[in-house]
Amino acid sequence: MVGLSTAWLAVDRGYMLGSVSIGDWTAWPRAGTPDADPYSLAWLARSGEVPLGAGEGIAFTAQADHGGEPLAGNCVYRVIGQTPAARLWTLTAYDSEGHLMPNAAQREAFHSQEILRRSDGSFEIMVAADVQPGNWLPISRVDYFELVLRLYDTPLTAGGIFGGSTMPEIRREQCR
Amino acid sequence: MRRTLVFVLGGLLLAGIIHIATVIMVPYFATDDASTLMRQFGRADVFHILPRAEAGAEPLANLDPKMLYAACRFSLSDGPVRITASLPNNFWSVAIFDRRGRNVFSVNDRSAERSELDLAVLTPVQMAQLRQDPPAALETAIVVELPLDSAFALIRVFVADDTLLSRARADLETADCAGTL
Repeated sequence: MVGLSTAWLAVDRGYMLGSVSIGDWTAWPRAGTPDADPYSLAWLARSGEVPLGAGEGIAFTAQADHGGEPLAGNCVYRVIGQTPAARLWTLTAYDSEGHLMPNAAQREAFHSQEILRRSDGSFEIMVAADVQPGNWLPISRVDYFELVLRLYDTPLTAGGIFGGSTMPEIRREQCR
Repeated sequence: MRRTLVFVLGGLLLAGIIHIATVIMVPYFATDDASTLMRQFGRADVFHILPRAEAGAEPLANLDPKMLYAACRFSLSDGPVRITASLPNNFWSVAIFDRRGRNVFSVNDRSAERSELDLAVLTPVQMAQLRQDPPAALETAIVVELPLDSAFALIRVFVADDTLLSRARADLETADCAGTL
């Protein structure tokens, strides 16, 4: 019983070994390689998710803002800064179950080639349920959501040096 | 007292074994894993373009809505498989997953150094047999030597905006996974 229930807990919660955190973001670089651990494989098998391979890119997930508070649909967030070097990146919002959220703007993601940047190359994306000026990534008024930043064709997966990399900060503005 | 201790320790040991066995067995019995879900898109040995990931209609969990995907289930038990496609100049990548859902091979357009995708997938045994008389395809294709039985390949193509969707779809329709060497 203990064995089964701890196994169920470990797999259901998506507990995977070998996570790497940069700032507010976490990635599992080994999940997309032949060396993926049994916990990752079990979780992937249950979720039906297909991980990005090491030759394709890497996905960073954020479930909390810079202050450590869980991301909530009734707040406005400012995702600000720069990403590690990558040929292409996309930022997508999912609900707590990993599904895309319906929104009136028909926009579910931003990618690096369409974004408005500042002169120093940094960017700012507003994540909110209500219309925002500039780059606006709409979400639904859900209790929790998560952001996934996918870096495609990045030297991060080749060398695996995560130390000197910077990821954008997720700042919470106002909540209602 | 000692007997209780033995029972507790034995129980914990057993629990540990069951825990490990369960976690390892999950991929073999999962019914919602990617390779099982792939079956809904159609028969094996053909690339199927997955419906675009939209809110409320996602073919698989956690797909990138900025990508268009095509998947093909194949098996190496009847011989080597050649995977080809003419893909756009923008970002694309391909990944091969084994029966357990492990990502065993992946490459993107830049590291493949070409816009034509051309993979020769074969087992080490098949490779050894072919070495006697290597077919011409082995010279040009990227050779992926893996001990696979059943597997699936997933191609993703970047779609910068909706106007490029039909182009991406046409590109993915050139994908073929029924070729032999």
